[in-house]
Amino acid sequence: MQALPLFFTLLRKEFVIEFRQRYAISGIFLYVFSMVFVVYTASIKVQPQVWNILFWLIVLFASINAVVKSFVQESGARQLYYYQLVDPVILVLAKIVYNTILLLVLSLLAFGAYSVVAGNPVKDMKLFAIVVLLGSLGFGIAFTFIASIAAKANNSATLMAILSFPVIIPIILTLLRLSAISLRLIQDTSYKRDIINLLAIDTILIALTFILFPFIWRD
Amino acid sequence: MWWKTLSVALIIYAITAGMLVPLKPGITYVSPGVVKSGQDITLRVFGYNSFYTKARADEIRIWLQFDESNAVLGQKTAILNDTTVEASFQMPSGMPEKGTFAMLNVIVDHPVDGVSLLPSAVEFRLDTTATSKAGWQDNPIEQLHIVKDLSYPYRNVIYESIRNTYYHVPMWFALMFMFLGSVIYSIRYLKSQHLDDDKKAVAFTEAGLLFGLLGLVTGMLWAHYAWGSAWSNDIKQLMTAVALLVYLAYFILRSSFDEPEKGARLSAVYNIFAFASLVPLLYIVPRMFASLHPGAEGSPAFGSQDLDNTMRMVFYPSIIGFSLLGLWLAQLRYRYAKIQDVLYDID
Repeated sequence: MQALPLFFTLLRKEFVIEFRQRYAISGIFLYVFSMVFVVYTASIKVQPQVWNILFWLIVLFASINAVVKSFVQESGARQLYYYQLVDPVILVLAKIVYNTILLLVLSLLAFGAYSVVAGNPVKDMKLFAIVVLLGSLGFGIAFTFIASIAAKANNSATLMAILSFPVIIPIILTLLRLSAISLRLIQDTSYKRDIINLLAIDTILIALTFILFPFIWRD
Repeated sequence: MWWKTLSVALIIYAITAGMLVPLKPGITYVSPGVVKSGQDITLRVFGYNSFYTKARADEIRIWLQFDESNAVLGQKTAILNDTTVEASFQMPSGMPEKGTFAMLNVIVDHPVDGVSLLPSAVEFRLDTTATSKAGWQDNPIEQLHIVKDLSYPYRNVIYESIRNTYYHVPMWFALMFMFLGSVIYSIRYLKSQHLDDDKKAVAFTEAGLLFGLLGLVTGMLWAHYAWGSAWSNDIKQLMTAVALLVYLAYFILRSSFDEPEKGARLSAVYNIFAFASLVPLLYIVPRMFASLHPGAEGSPAFGSQDLDNTMRMVFYPSIIGFSLLGLWLAQLRYRYAKIQDVLYDID
């Protein structure tokens, strides 16, 4: 099959699997709402500074839980079947695109629920939307790659957290900074440089994933 | 092997030279710290590592410097002891530039000790708002005694701890070399599927991690004296701690596989990934935040002013020495892993 139709077929497959196993995605959504509710009950009045940090923490934990199943849910036999049929780069690209869309939906839902219960201090909506998009992209790439390694190991859930947190720190620090700017917590007109930094990190991560994934998936 | 001897020799040299060579004479503080315009004052200068008695009193010259061309020269210099010297100053009634106060530098010129300077040592307060250069000029700071000898620069705030430059900074160089070696062997493993390459990669990572811990400890010792506390949440401290966590995760990943080939392959992949994430952690993120480290604005390392030629003579050998020591450590770890394989009959 050609690369592009193959990519769309694989992407469609991800959506279909997700739709058939609705318990997984519903679980994640419920997880997000529970976290938001915990934040609400723990502190009734959320300051903008705290709002910013807690929002990204909720998105971070929800993202890990959403992506970790990405490779585990498909059995070894099916992996072998893919191995004979498709190019690993296209497979991982489909997974990254799917996970990014999933995380974007997840963050938007988290944002919606969070602003209902804890208020919405965002001043620059346009910038915040860009930050959420970049965040989903960064998390999507990094977690997809880590999940593919962790899925091969014995204790994948623990490994997922251990392996991904250090790698995610530059991304989340930049995200926190950018979103603090969109909340007008800090004044910085040169935030475009931060966006470029974030895109640079994403580019490095995606290039590494393309180079290294072929070594990961074959057993 | 010759390079093992070289590494030991260079480290011994770095430790002896780094610890024994004295600092240049400097000024710890002066009193009084505040002077008013038109006042006659007696300024007492407290030196460090200085030998004021080695010269006659009239040979020692002391200035209160406003800027390049404006200064007041001290009269009636008197030597109290090796580290204390006095001079009287007639402070002018005006200031060369507009303003109500200025921070003056104290400069001491001594024929044997050479020049020493304490920046912004004395606050000069003005009673009037008059701008006059009277009294400031005709005291050119010239004919200074530049002494060339084997000594390290005297810097306020860090003082003797400047010697830590030879131990703290080379640790990071050695760490970078070790992790670079490790990632090269990881790439080679992915190409060759030869378990020896994997063992070498692990050995290099272990050596690199050791240097990382040592670099962190020497840095914390230094921070304790220079910044006031061992851990001050400086962005570089944080990022380094995170970078070390990345490599600790590497060892946990290795140990969570049953088959050695699979573990070797996936940890090689993670090692390449970790090395690539080290670059943003150590070189991109620290530029985005304020840091207490020297040369924090824009540059992750220190500036050219932080090293003089005497320091370079110890600094570079120290880097080579510690890097070679790391290579030796990695070799020993690699051989240890090989012997273990033979003992457990894995090969």
